[in-house]
Amino acid sequence: MTPEAPYLWVIGGSAGSFTPLREALLKLPYDPDMSLVLCLHRLKNARFQITDAFLRIKGWKVSEPDDKTPIQGGYIYIAPADYHLLIEREGYFSLSVEEPVHFSRPSIDVTMLSVVQAVWPRAGGVLLSGANKDGAQGLYQMYQAGYFTAVQDPADAEVSHMPNSALALFEPHSIFLIANLPDLLARKPIPH
Amino acid sequence: MSGGLICEAPACNFTPLMQEEVLPEIAEADLEAFFQIMHSVYGYDFREYARASVLRRLGTIFKKYGLPDMKALNQRLLKQKEFFETFLNEFRIGATELFRDPSAWVALRKQVLPLFMTTTQIRVWHAGASTGEEVLSLAILLTEAGLYSRAQIYATDIDPKTLAIAPRARYPLRHKRLYMENFQQVLPDVPFSKYAHEEGNELVFDPRLLENVRFLKHNLVSDEPFSRFELILCRNVLIYFTPELQDRVIRKFIRALVPGGVLMIGTKESLFWCKEAEKTLVPINNLERLYRRQV
Repeated sequence: MTPEAPYLWVIGGSAGSFTPLREALLKLPYDPDMSLVLCLHRLKNARFQITDAFLRIKGWKVSEPDDKTPIQGGYIYIAPADYHLLIEREGYFSLSVEEPVHFSRPSIDVTMLSVVQAVWPRAGGVLLSGANKDGAQGLYQMYQAGYFTAVQDPADAEVSHMPNSALALFEPHSIFLIANLPDLLARKPIPH
Repeated sequence: MSGGLICEAPACNFTPLMQEEVLPEIAEADLEAFFQIMHSVYGYDFREYARASVLRRLGTIFKKYGLPDMKALNQRLLKQKEFFETFLNEFRIGATELFRDPSAWVALRKQVLPLFMTTTQIRVWHAGASTGEEVLSLAILLTEAGLYSRAQIYATDIDPKTLAIAPRARYPLRHKRLYMENFQQVLPDVPFSKYAHEEGNELVFDPRLLENVRFLKHNLVSDEPFSRFELILCRNVLIYFTPELQDRVIRKFIRALVPGGVLMIGTKESLFWCKEAEKTLVPINNLERLYRRQV
């Protein structure tokens, strides 16, 4: 991994996260020093539709990465359906078909833990609306490893179980309203 | 290996792990020692397996066998040779299904099998065949195309324990709905019951599908190809390798393909890291990752 590796946001969500996230990202200013990794629970065999929905966000390139795709800045990466998406310290993605975690593949926990394991230099984790607790443990471990962590305000989330599961474990750096997500992401925060 | 072990293996393969995800703390030196043991005691070289998955796998195995850390796992692998078989079965990832990624199998049916209509002999290498669901997928398509009698399928895997499951062609009944849905997407005009029926809590496939199949233990990393082939399938195996190892294994496949032979990899795998593939393999269907060796 090179020193100029981009700031990596891992954003996890499930039920009720998709449309609000898409709308928020339309307001995200392009930044070649940053990439988003969207880990959204989705149905098997539903290729392409999600990727299409995130196209046309101004400036950003959108990719559903293949295995061993090098991680670059200026991208919105979307975890492919029915694979876990892992981040390797060498600076590329790996895919895996290991068993689902919390009935989910891709699993948010798996991607977030891989960031910690890869010791990615700058990263943040975000957990959105969702109906299960996938991501809570992964975000907590990102927090413990010193990464910035943010959870959508459960009152603001369509389905509050996922954010609440994280908040039951720890107090993240930010509890945000989805309308404020673009500003939060653009700051690329690093905890002290 | 006892018959009992063979029967137990599918259950542990398919049961989702519902434990919490936690990071295994693995010191670099202990990981090195692990690779060393694997190589010098058991003859397996895992050094070029993609690291994130290796660490995840090892973490899962600690928890499952109640071991405190990597050191303990290393000790057990050193002292208990019989544990290795269990370990290997846990370490390798066998998740597969009948016609996983239906659109890829549709492409194989429509774009690849017609190429073999005049071929007298169709030798197939199914590398990383695991528990055999995709071997059956291919056998069904060959049968439907009237090509099966000309086919000789070599299904290989690194793990003898998973390969022991494949020849039975029996799977837990809970997979029936998914397998049937996939089947119907690939072969909409063929009834699923033509090839599979229920028996107790199992889904049983027609044993004739395996008449021309040989199951063999083969290590993609260290073993050379044992023949030349008209068709090579290797799906969702390369994802566990580093780019360097992917390059070597793909070059191995290229050497093992006859001119005009076809390579099918996983739909999210790529030839990106293999320079030689750019020169020798032409896409039949880029999206579904089907390639043909230049004549």
